[in-house]
Amino acid sequence: MGKIISVHSFRGGTGKSNMTANLAAQAALRGKRAAIVDTDIQSPGIHVLFGLDETRMGHTLNEFLRGECAIQDVAYPVGSTAGGEGVQQLRDKFLWLIPSSINGREISRVVKTGYDVGILNKGLSGLLKELKLDYLFIDTHPGLNEETLLSIAISDGLIIILRPDQQDFQGTAVTVDIARGLDVPNLFLVVNKALTRYDFAEMKQTVEKTYGAPVAGILPLSEEMADLGSADLFSLCFPDHPWSKTLREIAQMVLAV
Amino acid sequence: MSESIFDRLQKKLDVQKHEEGISAGDIAELPPALRKIMRMMLREVELTYKAICAAMDEMPAPDRMNRQELDQALETLTSQNWLIRRGEGEGVNYMVNLRRKAGSSLGLNFWDSLDEKIATNKKDAPPE
Repeated sequence: MGKIISVHSFRGGTGKSNMTANLAAQAALRGKRAAIVDTDIQSPGIHVLFGLDETRMGHTLNEFLRGECAIQDVAYPVGSTAGGEGVQQLRDKFLWLIPSSINGREISRVVKTGYDVGILNKGLSGLLKELKLDYLFIDTHPGLNEETLLSIAISDGLIIILRPDQQDFQGTAVTVDIARGLDVPNLFLVVNKALTRYDFAEMKQTVEKTYGAPVAGILPLSEEMADLGSADLFSLCFPDHPWSKTLREIAQMVLAV
Repeated sequence: MSESIFDRLQKKLDVQKHEEGISAGDIAELPPALRKIMRMMLREVELTYKAICAAMDEMPAPDRMNRQELDQALETLTSQNWLIRRGEGEGVNYMVNLRRKAGSSLGLNFWDSLDEKIATNKKDAPPE
């Protein structure tokens, strides 16, 4: 059976969606069948990295949650109709995106009425079977809400992203506690946006000691990444960049779960 | 024989309990044995008793429950309506009952106004 990998951060702006998209892309480049689900229903964004906007989206997770379509109808084959040069490298690979709606009325509707969490769970399980996935990546909402806790509870692996920032350090402790409470079998920490003048080896040691969990990688703060502005997949556009090299090492570790 | 008021109340309570279900947060609070079963059920969504027994037999020794412990755990989870039992005898199966995510507690007027505002903005927006 396929593995579920959730990517989470306690606070927003950590680079969670970028990390999820690039990790899934690396899995697809290695010949794996992978999909990404955007469970950040209140503030979706990962579709942007794949060149999708409201006009190009077909069915969305919101419609599935209302019972208006099957989960496999929401799965968009990455690179098929949109995306930059990096995304286009995935055209003949097996990578799907299950986007949440970016339509304002759709977002307000789901926030207003809530939804059946059981249907979301069936959808995630259905994706693994219907698309015969090796990996299902879940891009979660920052902080802890119902869909995030569900994602953590069903995961084979959880990646928690944090920045070298005191607010992130405290919030990460909360997520680590929850993950342990839910018996997540593989827990990884990733430090993102670290200043290059820091001693990465020392930082790795300190973070691992603080949380008692392995650091899968420390990604440098990158001006080139900021410049790309989520317009494409960084690790495919700049494969020789230190960020991309570390990302591939993280992928190696995570895909071994 | 007609239903008494107590029967009707009991039915209402049963329906409410069923609708409540369990949340992922609640699962973190369960004792380890029950949590193990709920995690497995979350992944599989629905399993026959036979399949649950088979999955239990494949678990590492320290995590494994004997049949009596497993039956007791399933009984506890079912009585709380966190698992729903269907069928009888050999054909009995279990499915997880997750609690619905509640909607916003803001007044409906707020959402109606927001919907209206978004629709109006869209209508008035210049063509791209």
